[in-house]
Amino acid sequence: MLIEQSAYANRWRKASPAAKGIFALGGFCAAFAAGAPAAAVVVALLIAAATLAGAGIPSGRYLRAVTPAFFFLGISCLSLAFSLRLDDGTGELSLALTPSGMQKVAEVSARSIAALTALLFLVLTTPLTDLIALFRRLKTPEVLLEIMVLCYRMLFVLSAAVHDTLSAQSARLGYATPRLAIRSLGGLAANLTLQVWQRAHALHMAAQARNNDGPLRFLEPVFANSGRDAIIATAAGSALVALAVGWS
Amino acid sequence: MKSPADNTNTLLELENVTFRYPDGCVGLDGCSLAIHLGSRNVLIGANGSGKTTLFQHANGLLRPQSGLVRYAGAAVDYSRGGLRQLRSKVGLVFQNPDHQLFSASVQEDVSFGPLNLGLGQESARERVAAALQAVGMASFSDKAVHNLSFGQKKRVCIAGVLAMDPELLVLDEPMAGLDHGMRKELLAVLDELNGRGITLLLATHDIDFAYRWADRIHLMTGGRCVASLDAAKLADDGHALSAVGLPLPAVVELQRALGAHGLLSDSALPRSHSELLAMLDGPTSQSH
Ligand SMILES: Nc1ncnc2c1ncn2[C@@H]1O[C@H](COP(=O)(O)OP(=O)(O)OP(=O)(O)O)[C@@H](O)[C@H]1O
Ligand SMILES: [Mg+2]
Repeated sequence: MLIEQSAYANRWRKASPAAKGIFALGGFCAAFAAGAPAAAVVVALLIAAATLAGAGIPSGRYLRAVTPAFFFLGISCLSLAFSLRLDDGTGELSLALTPSGMQKVAEVSARSIAALTALLFLVLTTPLTDLIALFRRLKTPEVLLEIMVLCYRMLFVLSAAVHDTLSAQSARLGYATPRLAIRSLGGLAANLTLQVWQRAHALHMAAQARNNDGPLRFLEPVFANSGRDAIIATAAGSALVALAVGWS
Repeated sequence: MKSPADNTNTLLELENVTFRYPDGCVGLDGCSLAIHLGSRNVLIGANGSGKTTLFQHANGLLRPQSGLVRYAGAAVDYSRGGLRQLRSKVGLVFQNPDHQLFSASVQEDVSFGPLNLGLGQESARERVAAALQAVGMASFSDKAVHNLSFGQKKRVCIAGVLAMDPELLVLDEPMAGLDHGMRKELLAVLDELNGRGITLLLATHDIDFAYRWADRIHLMTGGRCVASLDAAKLADDGHALSAVGLPLPAVVELQRALGAHGLLSDSALPRSHSELLAMLDGPTSQSH
């Protein structure tokens, strides 16, 4: 939801999604090309700056979006840094922090952070509908696109249904005791299953009513200045890659 | 009572249509109904009387188990091509907007119908813009459907059907769940469409609205259309209304009471509250 809101309300909402994609891709390439951890960190900082200052994403929201990712990154780094060693003589198991391990952790985490910021840049500035349209232009197979379109829409329809059912149950004391809660949860699951089925049927009817005969076709959104945006994004992306490669 | 001229004017006609749902529920039970070209029609009936079922027959989503549906004089052809033809002429707006909208972007959803008609991107784009304009949602074209209010979603649904440029627009309870302002605006939209020559058929529970707005009022009960009344003569058809459990429009009762008190001439037939007020104030009122 957090990401969703930013995607619809940011300064670069009207910028061409292709351009934003190019910039994010540039960020990715730079993250992988970065030789030194410091280079990757600088790339990450630059992308984050573009997201915050350029697209105008509030920093609080940005932090909330990166925190879970950092948490996972931290855990995996710990497991990389320490190596488990079985001492041959004593047969004792010991945890050791090795210098080569540390080096590796620094490299991996710096790169991951850079890649993460690039991905976040894309999803925080571009609504999924625009991204799907972009995938469509890139000739992604229709089936995948249709699944994306329907899943994305159904996500909201269903979360509304879950919310409605939950509040209706709570209002009639459905979750007052653990026993009741389990019963209500069962009811919720059963009800949702039925609803999913009915919704699918209703959507099928609605598609037919508007003369659909198979593939779902939608209008491609147009973006003013998409040529200019793409040029700027390509330049910025290349600059990131050049910086990452040239750093030493 | 049908004159030959009526027949040539009939756009949609149901003749003795019967439809049972798979679970045995009666959807329609020998229902007959005619909709005239360019008219405004209201279908009024209790919950479960078969309005939605009838609408789905109009668009060819359901096929009568017995009886006949005719469009523009010809029986509906239920082949792929025939249905395509029918559905490009009869637009159906569903009762629940969440059942109809399936792209998360307003503009994309509205473009769905025109593209299904085989229009190119450019002409589809024009249709989408015009349709959103017509329902007053032009500034929302980039918004996400799930961030719209209920009434706004309903308008997007209407735009999605309008963009297909139908001859007959069928709306299932378009006013339900809309606030006063939204209703007024929607009504203006409908009036505008009717002015363009689009035939309208809508379901409602509001007899006052039906009397004010419609040319023809069709009464549904138990899967059957029991009466099709001229709205202008509705005041004389109180028995038909009470047979389906509907009261006379409030303005008719008021006009009669005022007439009985000599405050309004008996020949005055206001169709709405505001018309009645205007008559009381205006030079036509008898005494004041
Ligand atoms: N999918 C279905 N399966 C079985 N029975 C159904 C189905 N849809 C409707 N019915 C039944 O068919 C009858 C007519 O329903 P319909 O939905 O046409 O009524 P309606 O006039 O639109 O009512 P409302 O004013 O509540 O929308 C009802 O008795 C209903 O129970
Ligand atoms: Mg209904």
